[in-house]
Amino acid sequence: MLEAFVFATIMCGFFGILLKKNLVMKIISMDVMSAGVVAYYVLIASRNGLFTPILSDAKNLAFADPVPQGVILTAIVIGLSIQALMLVGVMKLSRDNPTLEIDEIEKNNTP
Amino acid sequence: MNNLTIAWIVFPFIVGFVIYLFPKLDRYLALLGAIVSGGYAFSLLVQQSPLKLQLIDTFGVTLEADQLSGFFILTNALVTAAVILYCWDTGKSAFFYAQAIILHGSVNATFVCSDFVSLYVALEVSGIAAFLLIAYPRTDRSLWVALRYLFTSNVAMLFYLIGAVLVYQANHSFAFAGLREAPPEALALIFLGLLVKGGVFVSGLWLPLTHSESETPVSAMLSGVVVKTGIFPLVRCALVISEIDPIVRFFGVATALFGVFYAVFEKDSKRMLAFHTVSQLGFVLAAPEVGGFYALTHGLVKSALFLIAGSLPSRNFKELQQTPINTPIWIALVIASFSISGFPMLSGFGAKVLTMKNLVPWQVIVMNLAALGTAISFAKFIFLPHQKVENAEKMRAGFWGALIVLLGGLILANVIYYDAYTLENIIKPLAIIALGWLVYYFILKKSTIKLPRFGEKFDDLVGFMSLVLVFLFWMGFAWLGI
Repeated sequence: MLEAFVFATIMCGFFGILLKKNLVMKIISMDVMSAGVVAYYVLIASRNGLFTPILSDAKNLAFADPVPQGVILTAIVIGLSIQALMLVGVMKLSRDNPTLEIDEIEKNNTP
Repeated sequence: MNNLTIAWIVFPFIVGFVIYLFPKLDRYLALLGAIVSGGYAFSLLVQQSPLKLQLIDTFGVTLEADQLSGFFILTNALVTAAVILYCWDTGKSAFFYAQAIILHGSVNATFVCSDFVSLYVALEVSGIAAFLLIAYPRTDRSLWVALRYLFTSNVAMLFYLIGAVLVYQANHSFAFAGLREAPPEALALIFLGLLVKGGVFVSGLWLPLTHSESETPVSAMLSGVVVKTGIFPLVRCALVISEIDPIVRFFGVATALFGVFYAVFEKDSKRMLAFHTVSQLGFVLAAPEVGGFYALTHGLVKSALFLIAGSLPSRNFKELQQTPINTPIWIALVIASFSISGFPMLSGFGAKVLTMKNLVPWQVIVMNLAALGTAISFAKFIFLPHQKVENAEKMRAGFWGALIVLLGGLILANVIYYDAYTLENIIKPLAIIALGWLVYYFILKKSTIKLPRFGEKFDDLVGFMSLVLVFLFWMGFAWLGI
C-alpha cells in the first residue's frame, strides 16, 4: 500500500516534468520525484523494523536497516545542491525570458 | 598501491580547492593534477593483477582498478592535460581551471567505482562540474544548454537510484555483481540512467546540442571523457555479468548505426563531430572486452578534432569548402581524421581491428557499415581546400601544445596492439576508406539533404527516456528470461 503511494509520487513527479510548460514548475516536479525516491529508500530500510539502529541497552528489537538511510542522505544533499544550481540558472535566464515558458526559451536559444 | 589509489582519487579535488587559494598558480596546479593521473594510469597498465579495495565495511565503498580502468584513466589524463594547455593563454579565470580539475577528478572516480552508490556520487559530481563548465560564458544560450544537460542527467539518475535500491534489497550490497540476483526492473532502471548519461541511442539525443553549443575546450572535454562516465559502468557490468553482455552489444550496434547515419548528413562541423561521438560510443559498447583501447583512441581523436574545429574559420561545411584553411591546421585535421577512419600507422587502426575481432557474428555486417559511415563523414574534413596562408595570424602555442599531446598519444598508442599489422588487416580498412571517399566525392558532396532536428527538444528528451525504459523492461523480461 505504502509502496503504491511512493510510486504514485514518483510518477506524478515524472509526468510533471513531462507535461508542465513552465521551467520553474518542471524543477518543482523534479523535486517531487526525488522526494518519492527518498521515500522509497526509507520504505525499504524499514522492511525489517522501525527502531532506530543506535547503540542502546535494549536487546533484540526489530531495527531499521541503516544502509539505505545512510546512502540516501548523500543523494538528498546532491539533489539539494542541484536544485539550487538550477534555480540560479533559471534566475539568470528569466532576465531575458520573463515568462519562463520552455517553448520560448527553446526557440530563442537553439540555432 | 592501496594508499596510492586513495591519494590519487582525492588529489584532483584537493588541487581544485587549492586553486581557489592560490589563483595565480591555477594552470600549473591543474596541469600537475592531470600529470599525476597519467602516471597512475601507467602504473595500472603495467601491473597485471586487478586491484580491489573495500573501504570501511562490507556495505562501504568498493573500488576496483584494472587495465580497463587504466585505459579510461589514461584517456582522461591526456585529454585534460591537452585542454589545459589549449586554455593556457586564453585568460580563463581560476574558476574555470578549478572546475576542470574537479571534473577530471570525478571522472577518474567513476572509472574505479565498483558499486552503484559510489558510482552515483561520482556521476552526479561530474554532472555538476560539467554544468558549471558549460555555463562558464554566462550567455543565455550556454545557460540553457547547461540547464538542459543537468536536468536530463538528473532525471535519469533518479531512475538509476530506484534501481540501485532494488539491487540492495535483493542482495544486501550495492556491488555491481549483485545485478544478477536483482529483479529485472533494477536492470532496466539502472541501465536507463547509464544510457542517458552516456548518450547512447535515442536516449542520447541531448548530446549533439550540448556538445556543439558549448565552448571549444569544454566540448573537447565533454566528448573526450565525460560521456565515457556512462559507458564505463555498462562495459564493466557486461564483463562482470555475462547475461547482460547481449543487451550491451545490442545497444552498441544500434548506437553505432544511429549516430553515424546522422553524422553523414550533417552540414555543421561541430554537430557532425557530436553525432559521431554517439556512433563511436557504440563501437566501445559493441565489444566490451576491448572497449578500453577503443575509448582511449576515441577520446584522443575526438578532443583533437573538437579543438581543431574550434579554430576553423567557420562551422558550416559549405563555407569551409570555399575558404582555404591554413596548411598546418589542415595536416593536423587530416591526421586526426585518418586515425578515426582506421588508417594504418595510427592507433585508430589497431583499435578498429581489435574491436572487429571481438564481435559476435550477427554484429559484423552492421559494424562494417558503421565504419564505412565514419570514413564518409570524415571525408568532409579531408577534402577541404587548403593553402599556405602568408600573413595568417599566428596560432597560439597552447593550441599546438595540446595537439602534440593528443596526436602524439595517438601515434604512441600504436604499440599497444602491434599484432594488428598483417596484410589482411591492412587491406580491409583501406578498402573501406576508399569506398567511403568515393561515395562522398560522387554522391554526398552535392547532396543537399538536411535531416530535421527530430527529438532534440527538451520534452522529447524526457519522453524518449520513458520509451527507452519501457523497451528495457520488455528486453529484461522477455528477451533474457530473467
